[in-house]
Amino acid sequence: MERFRLASGLEVCLLANRQAPIVTTVLLYRVGGRDEAPGRSGSAHFLEHMMFKGSARYGPGEIDRRTQGLGGNNNAFTSHDLTAYYFSFSADRWHEALAIERDRMTALTLDPTEVASERQVILEELAMYRDEPWDALELEVQAELFRGHPYGTPVLGTARDLESIDRESLAEFQGRYYRTANALLVVAGDLGAETAERVEAEFGDLSSATIERPPVAAAPVPDGARRLERRHGEVGRLLRALPAPAPEHPDHAGLRLLATLLGGGRTSRLYRTFVDVGQLCLAASCALAEAEVASHLACSFEMLPDGDPSDVERRLADELASLRELPIGDEELERGKQILLADWVFQLERIHQQAITAALAIAQGDLEQPEKLVRRALECDTAELTRLAQRYLDPRAGSVFGLSLPETG
Amino acid sequence: MRAPEDRATSGRRAAGFRPRLRRTEGAPVVAVRLLLAGGARCESIPGQALLTGRLLAEGTRRRSWQRIAADAEGRGMILSSFSGYETHGLAIDALAEDWQLALEWTAELLFESVFPADRLQWLARQAAAELEAQADQADLLTARAFGEQLYAPHPRGRPLQGDATSLASLNPDHCREFHAAALGWGAFLSVAGEIDESKVDARIRELFGGLFADGAGDGDSTRADRPRPEPAPPATAPARRQEIVTRAQDQAHLFLGSRTLPRAHPDYPALEVAGVLLGTGSGLTGRIPQRIREREGLAYTATADTVSGAGLDEGRLVCYVGTAPETLDQAEASVRDELERFLVEPIAEADLERARSYLLGREPFRRETARQWADLMAVSALLDLPLDDPDWYAGQIARLTAGDVEAAARRWIKIERLLVTRGLPVSRECVRPT
Repeated sequence: MERFRLASGLEVCLLANRQAPIVTTVLLYRVGGRDEAPGRSGSAHFLEHMMFKGSARYGPGEIDRRTQGLGGNNNAFTSHDLTAYYFSFSADRWHEALAIERDRMTALTLDPTEVASERQVILEELAMYRDEPWDALELEVQAELFRGHPYGTPVLGTARDLESIDRESLAEFQGRYYRTANALLVVAGDLGAETAERVEAEFGDLSSATIERPPVAAAPVPDGARRLERRHGEVGRLLRALPAPAPEHPDHAGLRLLATLLGGGRTSRLYRTFVDVGQLCLAASCALAEAEVASHLACSFEMLPDGDPSDVERRLADELASLRELPIGDEELERGKQILLADWVFQLERIHQQAITAALAIAQGDLEQPEKLVRRALECDTAELTRLAQRYLDPRAGSVFGLSLPETG
Repeated sequence: MRAPEDRATSGRRAAGFRPRLRRTEGAPVVAVRLLLAGGARCESIPGQALLTGRLLAEGTRRRSWQRIAADAEGRGMILSSFSGYETHGLAIDALAEDWQLALEWTAELLFESVFPADRLQWLARQAAAELEAQADQADLLTARAFGEQLYAPHPRGRPLQGDATSLASLNPDHCREFHAAALGWGAFLSVAGEIDESKVDARIRELFGGLFADGAGDGDSTRADRPRPEPAPPATAPARRQEIVTRAQDQAHLFLGSRTLPRAHPDYPALEVAGVLLGTGSGLTGRIPQRIREREGLAYTATADTVSGAGLDEGRLVCYVGTAPETLDQAEASVRDELERFLVEPIAEADLERARSYLLGREPFRRETARQWADLMAVSALLDLPLDDPDWYAGQIARLTAGDVEAAARRWIKIERLLVTRGLPVSRECVRPT
């Protein structure tokens, strides 16, 4: 592993791994939904789409054609905190990824016709999420959980705001945030000795102008147990979201282990109580959703057609109370740790995943953070988990319960 | 490490049971896959294969389902039993140090499952609920209707779950008998990961000996040499167009296509390249996503595949667009126009070369992990094709000419035979099948 910063301010991490003849590049910009001006929600995501729609050397669609011609794949994603672009190629032909990234960073076209066309595409993306029952519920719960905070605004933006985003506003947004000093590059896989030189040649001469990114406020904790209800389809879907601290917080690792005990696998508490033994739900899970300044624990339930949502709500309250009040058995604790450890090993099987994990960790300020979190979780004992459950797993102290109920009945 | 061609010779029935092993570098993990040539295509009651596969992890002569789950997860293993249209079976992903346990438990679940009645009852209820949950998703509901239009009465024309009535009619004997029969139709085992191949091979002979054609092992009578039942063929004159009402509020869904060919058909490589040119390639390079999304801005998702789901049975051409109801007609007309042009215009050499590069360039990404290798080797054995040999695949793609691709596309894509299913949001007009 090699890390350095170019004169242009670009932070670079090279991760050599020769398990397969593959190279993945991830270029991550420290800009996301939280950086958008009022009335311009969706700008970061809109710009991400436009980064594939033409630059000086690569016309509309040309990036995908070049990627395909080289036998690779590419994509991008936007969150509230960041925007990331990645390419994966065979190890003998990955270098064009750097040329593409430089070109669209410095010479994006933003043709007004393409902007208008892409707006329609994003409106269809919004419609797709509105129709998908889980996506729609999650968006509403997140909006309620982070009401008044940038994390409560959908990354895709609202249809109304999207109408007001134009070529000029996108150009201004890109000019402000898409700079080498606001970006980091990870190159992972079967790297040659010349990799650092190639990166330097492509990005070393760019302006090192920095940007003052306003810090994001701490996320608010909902006052008490909030509820929201929507109607969709014929199957009930329930989502309980509980605020949790950001990954850098010392309690975060233990909460990951608690999430595993609650929803990690068939032996987990929620799966047994609601699915395999209780037979109230088709599925039950628990995950810790992470962002830069806040996380949340999401317990999700897809109900059987004749199920009673209040029964699920009550039993979930019982399960959370049990974690707060009763010690966790040794066998269960060890099993949870083993699941967490194996997940970590499996997660890093692919070069692509290694590159993404590294980029996100560096953006959070610590490349070693993912591994540290696993190690810290493995050190947790019953007493610590009980303390964490008491602090974070009480819905009455602040949570959102979202119900997507059948339209009939 | 042995060369791929050493392992690429497993016959389906004639050669009997021949496990495929591969040592992979990287993460210290092992992946075990056991496929039985059963699946929904061989079932006599809809849903029988699905419940049979799922019941494999629900109790054996030695352990309850709770114990199986606790033992596996206590080692950080991911143990799952499953069923598809052409197989049912077992998958275990484990840390490399647990390779013996992974094999032992695969054998235990394969040979000693007891198919408990109470678990069958629950799984049947669960499967019926899955059908309801899927029906809330407009794209899935429309895809299901399209599948029925293409394939019925072939099993691919119905959900793996069957329906609520067929699920309620199943009992443990149905599953026990189906599993026993499938053991006779063909068993395919693959192991990949950080393993010592000779030790794994020896242990497999001890645990699965009865499956070997030479009877090596413990003398179990299961032998992969019995003919499989053939499913009912698809209808010859299905409805050309249908519209269904979904539970969506905003989007309409268009599925347009026809049945094409099985995986082993000699036209498969050429038709696969045609699929890349139409829409299965990297990003939005295909003609359908280019036209629908990039040029006309009609959809976020617009895809096209010519060999979707091809296996022992025929795959399908399927063009999909999720769009606003107001632009559904335009989207359908554009898809048809692109297909028509594709069939009459010559394929440019540069386009062919790009599609070829894509297919060859993606190969390393399909062989990166132990899990991928195990999946690939098991499916190779099932289909009796050396899919796990990169040179074989590269040879097939490299020798294709533009003429081969054009000819295959014209043989398998007939504009006048295209079937259409449109899923409309609630409150939109619906016309009945014609």
